[in-house]
Amino acid sequence: MGEVKLKRRDLLKIGGATCLTALFTPLNNLVPFTNFAEAAESESKYEITKKIPQVCARACECDCAYNVVVGVDKTTGIERAITIEGRPEDPVSRGKYCIKALGFVDGMYNPDRLLVALKRTNPKRGVDEDPGWVTVSSDEALNEIIEKMKEHKREEMVFCSPGDPYSNRLCRSLGVRRSDQRTECFGTHYYLNSLMVTNPPNKYYSSTYTVTHSLWGFDYSNTKYMLWFGFDSFSKCGKAGILNHIAEGKRNGTKIVGFNPLRTPIADGMMDEWYPIKPGTDLAVALAMIKIMIDEKIYHEDFVKNYTDSAILIDADSKFHITDSDGKWMAWCTEHNRMEPIDSCDAPALDGGPFTVTVDGKEVQAIPVLQLLQENVKDCTPEWAAEISDVPADVISRVTRELAEAAPNVCLPNLKRDPAGPNYSNSWRLMHAINTLHALTGSFDHDGGVLFLHGVKIPWLEDVDPLAKPYPPLPEKSPDFRHEFPVTEEIYQKKDFSAPGHYGMIGYGLYKGNDTKVVVFKGPHRGLAALIQPQMTEKALEKMDLVWDWDLYPDDIVYWCDYVLPAPHQYEEGKLDIRQYYPKYPSLVGGEPVQEPPGDCIGWGAIAKKIGLAMAPEYWTTDGSSDPEKVIEGNMNDAALKALGVAENTKEFLTEQDGIWVDKKPYENYKTLREIGYGRPNGRVRLYIDEFAKVSHEPLPKWAERWTAAEGEYKFSLLITRAAWHMHADPNFINNRALNDLSEKNYIDCVWISPNAAQELGLNEGDPVIVETNPKQMKELPRPVKSKVHITDRIARDDCILLFHGIGHRSKWLQHGRWGYRDGDLIPQKYPEVSKPHDPTGMGWVEDVYVKVAKA
Amino acid sequence: MGKYAILVDTTFCTGCNTCYYKCIQENRLLESAERGIVRTMVFTKDNGLYHHRCMHCEEPSCIDTCPSGAFNKTPEGIVLYDNQPCLGCKSCVIACPFNIPQMDTEKGNIVKCTMCYHRVSKGEQPACVEVCPTDALEFGAYEDITNKAKQLAADNNLNIYGLEENGGTSVIILTKEDPVAIGYPEVSKSVTKARGPKAVVGAAAVAALAYAGIKKYSDRRAEIEGKKDE
Repeated sequence: MGEVKLKRRDLLKIGGATCLTALFTPLNNLVPFTNFAEAAESESKYEITKKIPQVCARACECDCAYNVVVGVDKTTGIERAITIEGRPEDPVSRGKYCIKALGFVDGMYNPDRLLVALKRTNPKRGVDEDPGWVTVSSDEALNEIIEKMKEHKREEMVFCSPGDPYSNRLCRSLGVRRSDQRTECFGTHYYLNSLMVTNPPNKYYSSTYTVTHSLWGFDYSNTKYMLWFGFDSFSKCGKAGILNHIAEGKRNGTKIVGFNPLRTPIADGMMDEWYPIKPGTDLAVALAMIKIMIDEKIYHEDFVKNYTDSAILIDADSKFHITDSDGKWMAWCTEHNRMEPIDSCDAPALDGGPFTVTVDGKEVQAIPVLQLLQENVKDCTPEWAAEISDVPADVISRVTRELAEAAPNVCLPNLKRDPAGPNYSNSWRLMHAINTLHALTGSFDHDGGVLFLHGVKIPWLEDVDPLAKPYPPLPEKSPDFRHEFPVTEEIYQKKDFSAPGHYGMIGYGLYKGNDTKVVVFKGPHRGLAALIQPQMTEKALEKMDLVWDWDLYPDDIVYWCDYVLPAPHQYEEGKLDIRQYYPKYPSLVGGEPVQEPPGDCIGWGAIAKKIGLAMAPEYWTTDGSSDPEKVIEGNMNDAALKALGVAENTKEFLTEQDGIWVDKKPYENYKTLREIGYGRPNGRVRLYIDEFAKVSHEPLPKWAERWTAAEGEYKFSLLITRAAWHMHADPNFINNRALNDLSEKNYIDCVWISPNAAQELGLNEGDPVIVETNPKQMKELPRPVKSKVHITDRIARDDCILLFHGIGHRSKWLQHGRWGYRDGDLIPQKYPEVSKPHDPTGMGWVEDVYVKVAKA
Repeated sequence: MGKYAILVDTTFCTGCNTCYYKCIQENRLLESAERGIVRTMVFTKDNGLYHHRCMHCEEPSCIDTCPSGAFNKTPEGIVLYDNQPCLGCKSCVIACPFNIPQMDTEKGNIVKCTMCYHRVSKGEQPACVEVCPTDALEFGAYEDITNKAKQLAADNNLNIYGLEENGGTSVIILTKEDPVAIGYPEVSKSVTKARGPKAVVGAAAVAALAYAGIKKYSDRRAEIEGKKDE
């Protein structure tokens, strides 16, 4: 553009002429300026009409309590839910909430919401087929579904559903297997926690459906020292119920040390030390820490001796805990030089042995658990761990000593998609090691450490509406192969039917098998994006007799459904929730519907009762009859409130107590562990897991190589995280154009790669790329991901790339949802032969994948 | 009411953008936000978090450059925009050294933060501050906020952005890394004067723009009135 040069005289001429012209040109319709402040948004854009208590039970593990603010939008004159307001009295959220809670508000009014039942008329399923939807009433659709289900044997059906009370009763009464989609998030945590500490069923095992079934939270506010094994994933960046506590702890001086190949914004600001660990090697660091603590005897001796099984003797032959005839655990008494029940032993040996003892008249060699643990980690020196993990040896040693020094006010938080979760086949070993470190530091059930839920329970459906007769047995085989994993099958069948299933194998099971004919998807609103290798499930569903879904949106799973039933929005349901993720105090919070579900929406409880009454009425009536007048009420919330003496019923709780109750008594350290742990009534943490020994897996934490390895061009370890404003691929968020814009401006739709790796591949910022799984890992139905790269040194290593979960719907019925790639396309379905040798729970896998990145 | 300021301590910010969406709901801006026009957004950059939001300058360039008085600074230190006198000339868009005002061409108005004047004037905090999960945002008296910012910066070896930029602002941002390296605009400590059309062709150009803008406004108003009559 050329430079404008004007003389002063010219300027005056132009200015004068312009002003004169302006003066004589008619300017119509001008109005006087109003008061500036008035015109410039000095008034609220809405007028509040009511505030309705709600609980965020689906966005993450926090379950924040807040109010949904309803008001009249002054521009439109329409009354609607406007926004959220915090509830400072809630122990979890303390007046905070996150962007997802706000997104849910607008999700209620999303024009793509499913408000009527859909019925397929074109029998051919698939993404390229027009289903020929016709609308029917939900009642009519359900009647037709029931008639079709009746045509099938129970072995031919599977429910893909979380273990909520109604799903459980429905599946058990029909004698149908349930495969739980939550596996990929927290199956590892659930089973390890169950096998080491919480020992379900126990007095606090609650029917409240919370996302991880954990009975504890972490005292981020009061802890002195935290170790994060990948805890600071991008998804954590949005979890207000956790973050408000972490921030308080940080301001109080908590030291945070993290290991993560990614440098997240939380690491930028809140971590004192961050080490870009090699993906999948966290276990080496954790084992080295265990070794240092035991060798240097810097563990919490009182806790280890009195609240764990460290002194319990293990039979060297059977590999199980030794018990007396009453089932009491036995220890070696160093005072009396004999085996004694642990609860009456004054001087239990923590090391030494083998001791010769007599069990059932037979002489056996016995070794204390802690001694076995020490032997397991004898080669795990800090130098050895440093070689594997790239975390310096001196750091491992120093951090371990600092952790021990700060104990018991320490914690190693682990939830969902942290490395201790579903990430690797070795995740179960890491989870085992982390729980062991919690035990060695005495931080379990301790203020400033791991807080146990206590003093509150919501009963199970069976407690308030007892069964007239026992449930029928479940089919011997499960389409998700759970029956091939005795560790998880036993808990599911005998202890906790709500336990997570093997969803990472359901696609393989349906694709390879021919027994299943009916598949039920209980949303909730995530469709195929919640699955790994959904292409296998898609293919499998094409051959089914009946597929139906209960969903908030017509997401991409409906391409394969015969019927889709419209679900209410989460703010259209009542709730009662325990404060599980910061259970410092016994507490209950309630939520009431913000509005009546629009259209022909139908609740899951109503669906379960209707199917139950039609197909197994004896389990759904108060007297075991078929009389629909006697259908069970299922009011667990009222029962919980009454049992605790909080209120007579939910209505009274909501109206007279604003739906919140907190018993602010001081936390009693180690009290709950005694009540729920192993060896009750003197409950303990069980470091040594007999169930693993039974299936020839390591009963104590031990090193194992990663399941998979880099190979040729397939050299990038696949890391997955999620934007703070996404939850799986819930269309509440990804069908929101404003959130999509936020995502795009933060590169969430890109493949993140380190500058060095990008340079080596000749990639520039924004270049289109194809990401492909090693075909040796994904032998069938590969579906490479197409995207563009974002080059960033937040990827701190050159041996990994980052993808974002929670995007990538393909439904043409979502106007903004068909956006981004789907990470699950790159993660192969598991199957028993590949999983069993590595993982007794079958829950780890998701990031045990190596990929190739190439310019598209 | 005295003068106010907002402290943004990015060492406690996680980039969750709850502030982004709360602002959208509080100010009923979803339709504009769907087109990418918003008052605040947090960007996750390589070296830290970039908060894109009006800095509410002591001597705002938008006020200085606006030919029609569409901007004003309240005694509380808040820079407000009024659509009514706005000519749509985008002088403010060009002039702002922080690249804040955005023209919403569909609605024909400038979009920028009001520091929730409607809440602040009632003694409440701005919505973004109230909602921040980690209290990385803090609202308070200007003196208190600037003193706290200086103290935190000294204690934790942080950079301060906004205290002196463009002659000083009412939004003070603390960062671990150099703010300019993160992505914050490099802004002179002295007030940026007339970066917009005034600097190019002087008063005549402003007059011409003013005329064009008023004419456009007048025509548009006629169009709206016409539609109302239909």
